[in-house]
Amino acid sequence: MTRTILFLVGGVLLGGIIHIAVVFMVPYYANRDAWAQMDRFGPDDQFHVLRLPEAGAEPLTSLDPRMLHAVCRFSLAGGPVRITANLPDEFWSIAIFDRRGRNIYSLNDRSAERARLDLAVITPVQMAQLRQDPPGSLETAIVIELPLNEGFALLRAFVSDDTEVSRATALLQTADCSGSL
Amino acid sequence: MRLLIDIAIAILVATSIGFSTAWFAVERGRLFGAVVVGAWTTWPDAGGPDADPYSVALLARSGEVPLGAGEGLAFKAVADSEGDLLSGNCVYSVAGQTPSARLWTLTAYDRDGHLMVNAARRSGFHSREILRRPDGRFEIVVSQNVGPGNWLPIAQVENFQLILRLYDTPLTTASEIVDVDMPHIERVRCG
Repeated sequence: MTRTILFLVGGVLLGGIIHIAVVFMVPYYANRDAWAQMDRFGPDDQFHVLRLPEAGAEPLTSLDPRMLHAVCRFSLAGGPVRITANLPDEFWSIAIFDRRGRNIYSLNDRSAERARLDLAVITPVQMAQLRQDPPGSLETAIVIELPLNEGFALLRAFVSDDTEVSRATALLQTADCSGSL
Repeated sequence: MRLLIDIAIAILVATSIGFSTAWFAVERGRLFGAVVVGAWTTWPDAGGPDADPYSVALLARSGEVPLGAGEGLAFKAVADSEGDLLSGNCVYSVAGQTPSARLWTLTAYDRDGHLMVNAARRSGFHSREILRRPDGRFEIVVSQNVGPGNWLPIAQVENFQLILRLYDTPLTTASEIVDVDMPHIERVRCG
């Protein structure tokens, strides 16, 4: 009897370990995460303007239907990434997500204090190398240092009503993430 | 033989406890870091760089792209101010004011987080289009049937949820959030 109870306690402890292992492994086996869903938008290293979310036609999960979105998957393995865009006078924001979909850096139009977005995403190692010989083109950019291999950028632009959509779409189509420094 | 049975019991207990609690914690949980204000709940750190493993697992399962601290804050309501689940058969009044933000949007989703089809082609309101009372407060009527004023239509669903997104808000930490004034969600009638 005592031995059975011991085995039961062992089973519960092992259950705890399985619980932790499963929770940590979920992101590696998920095939419907934001990154995977972006496969169907098109190639990496360029922005894709998504349709305004509507019932039955939502490009990604739980998007705000009053925001126009543009996404770009990028990799920092081949060097820093420069993100530029001409954006509306209305509210807009940009966020950098890591591969797992965590929002690790974000900024809105007020804090950017300009209508033209110019962002350089750079790893700490690349930054250390750049400090030796900083290129002049970086002077106008907001430089953000992130320990990323790959990730995605998401632009959100507010559209107050449906008549604004085409204008906002045209502006978001100027967004570019293919440039290096 | 006894030993084999004991080992079998232990393995059975381990796998059933391990998988069921993990599933429950990821799908239904979101216990960590939740800040509750009236009917509304927000998870200020759940989508950010300091997200706990359960939030990261949930993000991977749902595919959501959460708002960052520099963008805004999203509050979710699945129940009214009395604590009863929001039902598609009832009429609700969402009234009061919102915390300070440059812009906010209120959107209705079904229980699974999808937008709902409706004839009025409206799934929410934003702060610039809403009709307000002279004192700046507002009232939104959430109902299946056409109503006057700020009418937010919903589809014929069993349950639904509301998400209030504050864009460019100074609120970031949990201690600031608990003191804010959020709209009340009152059930007006059902059936």
